[in-house]
Amino acid sequence: MVQPLQPWLIVLLAAGISCAVTTVLAALLIVAERYMVNYGTCTIDVNDGARQLEIDGGDTLLGSLKTEGIFIPSACGGRGTCSYCKVKVLEGGGALLPTEEPLLTAEEIADDLRVSCQIKVRNDLKILIPEELFAVRQYRGVVERISDLTYDIKELRIRLIEPDTLTFVGGQYIQLEAPAYGDNPEPVYRAYSMSNPPSDDQAVETIVRLVPGGICTTWVFQHLSEGDEVTLNGPYGDFRLSDSNREMIWIAGGSGMSPFWSMIRYMAEADIERKTTYFFGAVQRRDLFLLDELTELARKLPWFEFIPALSAPGEHDAWTGQTGLITEIVDRHISDGRELEGYLCGSAGMIEAAHDLLRTKGLTDDRVFYDKFN
Amino acid sequence: MIAELASSPLDGPLVMRLLVIFVSAAVTENILLTRFLGMCPFLSISRQMRSAFGMGLAVVFVTTCTVVINWALYAYVLKPLEPYGLPAESLKLILFIVVIAAFVQFMEMAIERISIRLYFALGIFLPLITVNCAILGASLFMVTHVSGRQFGGWDALLYGFGAGVGWFIAIMLLAGVRSRIKEDSVPAALRGPGITLIVAGIMAMAFVIFQGMIKL
Amino acid sequence: MKQTPRDKAILERMAPGVLCAEGFLGDDPRDLSEIIAADTAAVEAAGLTHEQIARSLAAAMKTAMAELGRPAAISEHVAAVWREGMGRIPSPWTGDGVFPKGELGLTDTRTGRTLTLTPLSVHLIAAHGFYQGRGSRYRLEPHDIIAMFELT
Repeated sequence: MVQPLQPWLIVLLAAGISCAVTTVLAALLIVAERYMVNYGTCTIDVNDGARQLEIDGGDTLLGSLKTEGIFIPSACGGRGTCSYCKVKVLEGGGALLPTEEPLLTAEEIADDLRVSCQIKVRNDLKILIPEELFAVRQYRGVVERISDLTYDIKELRIRLIEPDTLTFVGGQYIQLEAPAYGDNPEPVYRAYSMSNPPSDDQAVETIVRLVPGGICTTWVFQHLSEGDEVTLNGPYGDFRLSDSNREMIWIAGGSGMSPFWSMIRYMAEADIERKTTYFFGAVQRRDLFLLDELTELARKLPWFEFIPALSAPGEHDAWTGQTGLITEIVDRHISDGRELEGYLCGSAGMIEAAHDLLRTKGLTDDRVFYDKFN
Repeated sequence: MIAELASSPLDGPLVMRLLVIFVSAAVTENILLTRFLGMCPFLSISRQMRSAFGMGLAVVFVTTCTVVINWALYAYVLKPLEPYGLPAESLKLILFIVVIAAFVQFMEMAIERISIRLYFALGIFLPLITVNCAILGASLFMVTHVSGRQFGGWDALLYGFGAGVGWFIAIMLLAGVRSRIKEDSVPAALRGPGITLIVAGIMAMAFVIFQGMIKL
Repeated sequence: MKQTPRDKAILERMAPGVLCAEGFLGDDPRDLSEIIAADTAAVEAAGLTHEQIARSLAAAMKTAMAELGRPAAISEHVAAVWREGMGRIPSPWTGDGVFPKGELGLTDTRTGRTLTLTPLSVHLIAAHGFYQGRGSRYRLEPHDIIAMFELT
């Protein structure tokens, strides 16, 4: 029969065994993590050899591409809520994940589209992205001016610091980063069309309308002030003037002014004498802005006509211009649209209504342009 | 002691012995319905058959593996040192918890690496399992069987597997019942957790019938 | 009690700053299932269903949205204004899709009482019986909707 040990030896033994077991387990976990979570170096082939990226596996596809300077549009910052960051994965994507399924339609799945913030780079990949995304960079800038255009619309001018030049085409948009603030735990990204002309390439200007409860617009309206440093990336989007010389109809409401304010100044600077009629819709006089500037341009440029319209002018507005829904105004002005092109920017409802109207005027879908980000 | 061992159903041939251990762990000693361990996920994850299935499978797997690891730890480290005065009974509680937590971590990594599909089907339930008392309970009950008699590695494996399968059967039964309950026909005050506890109670009573069948 | 991963994901998306600045639950001390159960009981007590309530709201929303911000009359005593917004917001329930931003203001001209809702609000009522938490900007009390639209 063995003799029980001294009490202090028993304490030591018990402590020793506990420590030993815990240490062994911890060591096993560390080794496992080293070998199992490490995917080694993976190669991402972008656009059939256009770029070959050598990266350390394990991060998400969205994050890996960002590290390599390729920015996929994403509004939620990779939390799997916005589904904007879809990318075509030709090889190596593996099976579709349950976290992706709700974000993809059946056609998108059949088309090899994947949600790039959800899939991890675990092996070599072949992906296909729009060519324009190669030009997208991340910029640091400083807020040069925030001014009120109306009671709920602000104009924001950001002077670029690093890099200091952004080459873009009128109609394109950037994504502004709203950093973590207040209750908002992580940065989010929101798309805003640039309103400055492309010649003004050392700054980004945009027009922001307050969205009640909106994370980014609340930040712009309540927390952002002149002199603050901000982060943005861009340019994105294929909303731009077409190569044709057809007469154009522009229809906008609210902050949908942005791309057209850029385009018209570009056209004025570059002497592009293409017949254009710009319909801008608002409810009351207090919702209109840039009225003097646009009226002045219309007076100077014989090929440009500006038609602002109010749907419900107030008693004190003393409004003598067009009255009615913007679609009603356009309806009155156009009889045959078969040789026209339509450009739309505004809320989803406005775009839908305007597009429906243009169809009845004989504009085919390939001659009507609007931003998909909305 | 010897007389009791002689009449134990564990004395038969090996296959018989393992079968007895398995059935006893899964049915007569059903960890959920006779011991009421692991009630929390049992009630909250039994709303849909699919979730219940995933959670049940994860429990089967983790219980089987951790019971075997803990058996080895107990049989080869703690028990041999007990005569020297080591408080094996108290130490086992601490060590078993550590083993289970580490194992779950390890499994999460391994499954993510091996099968991303399985990781999403089952892996999301794994972190919940670390604090599932049925897992720890299975290891602790296993020890009470080891202390009285010979209980080898195969026995422990079948015991752990049986305990897990028992839990799996119970949650699948409950999920099946719950998916057939029309919430409208239940009095308002009893909807949700109320009626679920009543169902679980009736199921537990039904399982009492098995109690006398086999005694380890 | 432990939650399923899906319930957890829904609650995470309802938190302030994830999908919208204020979140969906306001300062309501009740948990999600209690909020839904209480509102469901209120709707059932009135002899109605969530679908019927959502249908009235959706019809008002459609009428007002077509006016692009111009005040619209929904009935003799209900006035509506659609305030447009840019962009879309996803539902806290994954797989529900995305809904246009912007909000509808409804006013009962007899009492002056107002309701504020979004296209997402209508979906959440129809699909999940969820009227949002008390204290949230878009909280709707079922009996207020019932009173405004005279549903009983």
